[in-house]
Amino acid sequence: MENDIQQMINVASTPPNGEVELGAPPASAWVRFLRSYGPTPNNLTMFDEYVSGALGRAKVQPISLSTPLLDSMVQYVESKAPGSLLIAGTAGDGKTYHCRALWTRIGGDPKVWAGKGNVKEYRLTDGRLAVFIKDLSEFNGEESDLPLQRLEKSVLGGDDSEIVILAANHGQLLDRLRDLGKRQGRVHPLRKPLQERFLQAGPAPDRLAVFDLSRSTSRKTLDEVANAVAGHPEWANCARCSLKAGGRVCPIDENRRRLLGESDGGQLARRLGDLVEIARLNGLHLPVRDLLALCSNMVLGYADAKGAKENLMTCADVPNIQESGHIGKASIYTNVFGGNLPKRRAADRPVFKAMASFGVGEETTNAADGLLVYGKDDSRLQADFDRLVGCDLFYGATAEFRAAQDAYLEGYEGARLEGGSSEFMEMLEAQRRRFYFTLPEAEADHPRWSMTAFRFAGDYLGIIESLKAKKPVSEIVRGRIAKGLNRVMTGLLLENVDRIFIASSGGFTQSRVSVLCNHETPSRRQGGVGMAIKLDEETERPQIDVSLSPGPGNSVAFDLTPIRHEFLSRVADGALPASFSNECLEDLLAFKAKLLRKAEIVRKTGFAGDDEAGGEASALTLNFIDIEPGGRGFARPVTVRTPA
Amino acid sequence: MSEIIKRPEIKSVDFCVDENIWGHRLYDEQLPHLTVLEFLGVLGSNLDKPLCPHEGSGGSVKFQPQRQIRLRGLLFNNPYVESIAESALPDEEKWRQWFEKFDQGKTGNGDDDMAYLRQSFASFDDFAKAVELLRSSSFESRSNKRWSSKFVFPFGPDALYEDLEIDSRGKMSNDRRFFARTGELLYLMLTRAKRGAELGDILAKRLFDREVPMNRLARALQGPPQIADDPRPSGYLPETAHARFDQICEDWLSILAKDMPIYDALEHLIAISSLNMLLYFLERAKRIAGDDDPVEIVCEIVSRERTKVRALSGDSYQFNQGLSAKAVRTHVEAIRQEDQWGKAVASEFPEAERVKLMRERFQWPTADEGDDEDYSGKSPDELVSDLAELALARHEQHVGKIHASWSRAIGLSSRRLSRRTRYAPNDRLLKSIVVVIVDDRMQFDEFLAEAKRRYGLVLGDAEGAHLVEAKLIDQEELSENRGNLEARLIGLGLVRRLSDSCSFVENPFAFKGEAAC
Repeated sequence: MENDIQQMINVASTPPNGEVELGAPPASAWVRFLRSYGPTPNNLTMFDEYVSGALGRAKVQPISLSTPLLDSMVQYVESKAPGSLLIAGTAGDGKTYHCRALWTRIGGDPKVWAGKGNVKEYRLTDGRLAVFIKDLSEFNGEESDLPLQRLEKSVLGGDDSEIVILAANHGQLLDRLRDLGKRQGRVHPLRKPLQERFLQAGPAPDRLAVFDLSRSTSRKTLDEVANAVAGHPEWANCARCSLKAGGRVCPIDENRRRLLGESDGGQLARRLGDLVEIARLNGLHLPVRDLLALCSNMVLGYADAKGAKENLMTCADVPNIQESGHIGKASIYTNVFGGNLPKRRAADRPVFKAMASFGVGEETTNAADGLLVYGKDDSRLQADFDRLVGCDLFYGATAEFRAAQDAYLEGYEGARLEGGSSEFMEMLEAQRRRFYFTLPEAEADHPRWSMTAFRFAGDYLGIIESLKAKKPVSEIVRGRIAKGLNRVMTGLLLENVDRIFIASSGGFTQSRVSVLCNHETPSRRQGGVGMAIKLDEETERPQIDVSLSPGPGNSVAFDLTPIRHEFLSRVADGALPASFSNECLEDLLAFKAKLLRKAEIVRKTGFAGDDEAGGEASALTLNFIDIEPGGRGFARPVTVRTPA
Repeated sequence: MSEIIKRPEIKSVDFCVDENIWGHRLYDEQLPHLTVLEFLGVLGSNLDKPLCPHEGSGGSVKFQPQRQIRLRGLLFNNPYVESIAESALPDEEKWRQWFEKFDQGKTGNGDDDMAYLRQSFASFDDFAKAVELLRSSSFESRSNKRWSSKFVFPFGPDALYEDLEIDSRGKMSNDRRFFARTGELLYLMLTRAKRGAELGDILAKRLFDREVPMNRLARALQGPPQIADDPRPSGYLPETAHARFDQICEDWLSILAKDMPIYDALEHLIAISSLNMLLYFLERAKRIAGDDDPVEIVCEIVSRERTKVRALSGDSYQFNQGLSAKAVRTHVEAIRQEDQWGKAVASEFPEAERVKLMRERFQWPTADEGDDEDYSGKSPDELVSDLAELALARHEQHVGKIHASWSRAIGLSSRRLSRRTRYAPNDRLLKSIVVVIVDDRMQFDEFLAEAKRRYGLVLGDAEGAHLVEAKLIDQEELSENRGNLEARLIGLGLVRRLSDSCSFVENPFAFKGEAAC
C-alpha cells in the first residue's frame, strides 16, 4: 500500500480531451479526479490504486510536481562515491516515487520496476550493482535482514561492489535495525548514527547519503502544489462551461481563481504559506500528500453535505448550489481550515489538525468583531466595512450574511433563544477566517495575526527574515523576549527589557517565585556577554543564546520555536492564556535550570583564587531582586557575615 | 536469596514481625522528602567514609545527627520577625523588640544568646529578608506541623538537622514521629549497593559544600553547629544485598550525572528513591509470601476518555496493597515448617523449646513476668496463631499503610476521576522517571520496556502482553494508554515525534555541551 500517488499520476499520460459524458460540464471529469485527492471519508483514495484508476477513468492530465531532491540523488549515484543511499520519509512524502524516478533516470527499465518483487537490481555502467529496495515496510519480520545486511556491508563493510538504494520510514528502519541487532546479539552499528541524523543531532555515516524527504516540505512545496492544482491545464475547459456564463458564479471556479491569486496578487497563497511555515517550525510535518488534500479541499470544499456529497463539490452540484444561493458555504477561507468537514473527519487528517491549531475563526479582537457585527450600520465603521467586507460579494457581505446580521441585531425572538444566533455565529467565524487572508498588510487597526492563536507569529517570521538578511532583530521584539524571559525566570512582574536576571529561589528551580539574582546579563550581546538571537542553520529556527562570560562554553542556547516565542511574548504582555499547555513552561524551566547551572560554573571559575584574604572572605553577598514602583527590577545586595 | 543479617534485639517493640521482613523500620508517615532528609543527616555525620560499611557493627552504621536549634527556631518558631520588619521603627528599636520577643519563646537549648545575629546582618530588615528567603524555600512551608518537625531545604551541611519533639519546657526528645529510621534504612541500602562508595563521594562533594552561598546563609543564622549528645546506631536492614539496593544507587548516579543544579536533582532523587523503596517493600513482601513473580504496577495514563485500563490499574493497586499483610501471616506461620520446630518434638521439653524458638525469632512471647496477657497456658501452635493476629493488627496501623501513603506521596497513585484508588502517575513522577532512565534520548518503546524492567511499570501493549493473553484487556486499550502517555510526555516537552510511529523520549537535562535545549 505504501506507494506514492505521484508515481501513478505520472505513469498515466493520456492527453487531455474534452470527451466527457454528454451534457456534463466540460471540466467535470477533471474535477472528479481532483476530488479524489480530497479528504473523503474513505481513506483508500489516498492510495495509488484508487488514484490511478480514477486517472484512467477521467482521462485527464496528471498533476505533476517537481522533485527537488531527485537531481542530488542522481548526482550522488553518478559521482561514483562509494557507499549507499537512503531515502527516508513519512507516509505520503514520496519515498517510493523518488525511488522509482531514480531507477528510471539511471537507466532502469520501467517494466522491470512494475514487475513483482520488492528488490530490483540494475548494473551501473561503472560496474557497481545498484540494489533498489522499494519499501522496507513490504518485508515481513526477518525478511528485511538480508537487505539491511547488504546496506551494512556497503556502508560500513567497505564493499564497493554494490550501491543500495533503500526507501524507508524513519521509525520502521530504526525498529528493524534494533530487532536485527538484537537477534545478532549486538547493537546495530547503523542505528545510533541514523537516529542522530533523523533528529538532526548528528551527521550521517560517511558512506551513506541520507535524503530525508520529511525535511523538504515547506512554503515552497505548498506554492508548488497550489499552482499545480489551481493552475492545471484542465481548468481551461471551464472557459466554455455554461455554469459560469450569464453572470452566474461557479464556486469551484471562484475558489480556484482565489487560490491562484488572480485578484489579490497571491496574498492568500502567501498567507497560507505563512501558516504552513509556522506549523513546520513548530515541528509538524505535512507530507506532500496532505498538501494535495488541502488544496483539493480548498477548491472543492462545501460546508453542507446536503449540497455536496462528502462535503466536496463536483460540477454536478454547482447548479443546485447556485440556485439555492448558498455559495458562501463554499468559501475557500472556511475550506482551508477544514471548516467544511465534520469535526471527526477533519481531526483524522494531520493537515487539518495542524490548520485548526491556529484557532482561526475562534480567535478575534474587539475591533474585528465590532466591524463585522456593527460595521454595516455604524457610520464610523461603514467605510471600513464596505472596503474590507462588503467588497466581497461571494464570501464577504453576502445577502445571507446581511440578513443573518440583521436578525441578530434586531433581536428577533428566535435570536434570543438558546442557540438562536448560532447561524450568525458560524458566519462570524467564517468572516474572521476570511479576515486572516484578506486584511490588507498595512491595516494597522486590524493586524491579521490577531485573528490567529499566534498573535506574535508575524514578529516571529520577522526575526527569521532579519537574521537571514543579516539585519538586526527589531528592538521591540528583542525587548519583549527579554521581558518574557525575566518574568519566567523570577516569577515577578518585571518590566526590564535591557537585562536578563538569572534568578533562583535558593532551592528548587521550579519554585514559583525566585527572588535571588544569581547572575545578571545584558539582553544584547556585547563583548561576548549577554543574549544573542541567532539563526540555527539546521532547524532554520531562531535561537536564543545567553552567554554569561566571554569565550566558548559559557553560554546556553534555547531553540525558539513559534510556540515558545508566543509563550514568551504573551507572558511579557502580561496575559497568559490557560490554553497553553505545560510544554512551554517546562521547556523554559529546563532552560532556566541550565542557565543557573552555567552561572554556578562561571562563578566558580571566575572566583577561583580571586577572594580577598582575611575577614572579607567570610562576607556573603546575596542579591535580592527588588522592584521599583514602575515595575523595573534591580538587584539589591544584602551582605551577610558568616562564621568561618 | 541473599544472606540475612541477624537482627539485633530491638527495644520498645512488643514483637518483631514487620521488622524481620523489611527491617527496622519503614514507616508510612515518613514521607519521601523526610526519608531523604534523614538519610542526609546520617550521611552528613559520616562524611569521612560516605556510604561505606562500618567494620564490626553487624551491618549497621553509627551516626550523630545535628540539631541546629537556633536555625530552626529562627525559621519556624519566630512569628514576629515580619511584623517588626514592616514597622517604621528605627533599626536599633527593631532589634531590641525582636530580641525581647524571641527570648520569650526560646527553648533554652543553646538559643539563649542570639546577639551574634547583629554581627552577621547589617540591618534588621536584611535579617528578616534572609529568614523569609529560607522559609519560603523550605519543605511544607505552609503545613501546620509542630515547628520542631519543619525542615529547611538541605542547602548544605549546616542546614541539616533531625526531627525532634521539644516540649514547653524545652526538653528535647527523639519521638521518631517523622524520622522513623526509613532514611537510615535508605542509607544502609545504598551502603550495601555495589557502587555505594562511588555515590557517597559524589554526594559528599555536591551536597555538602560548606561554602555554597545558601549554606553560608544557614550558617550565619545558626552559628556553630549543634550536635546530638551521643553517636547512635542506625536501624536494622535484613538483607546484605538486593537488586533493588543497586537500582536505587544506579538511579541516583544517573540523576547526578545530568546537567542540572544539584538542588533540582534533589526533587528527582526524592521521587525515585521512594519509588524504589516502595518496590523494595512490595518485592520483599512478595518474596516472603512465596510469590516469585516480579512486582507489577499497571498504570493508567489519565485522559479525557475513560478506559478499561483504569479498572485494571485499580485491580493491580488492590493486589499490591494486599501483599504485605499476606507476607506478615506467612512469615509468622512459617516457623511451624522449620526443621528446628519439628526437631523440638524429640527434645525433653518440646513446648518450651518451641516457645524459645519463637522468642528468638520474634522477641515474643516476652519472658517478662509483668505481662498483662498470660501465655503460659497456651500451646506453641496457639501462640503462633495469636502472634499472627497481633502482628496483623499492628501491621494495619502503620506498615500496612506504606503502599497507600508512599504511592500517593510520590504521585504514583491517585483517585482522580474515580472513587477507587489506582495507579495513575502524575506529571512530576513521569518527569523524574524520564530524567533517570533516559541519558540523552531513547526510542519511546525502549523507554517503556525499561520502565517495566526497572520499576515493573506496565504502560503500553508490549509491556502488558501477558494481560492481553490472559484476556484481561484488549490490546487496543493498552496501546491507547501508551498513546496517551506519549501525548502527555509531548506536553511536558519530553517526547519528540519524528514521523508516524516513531518518537523519542528526550532528557532535557542531558549533557550536550553547547547543544541547544
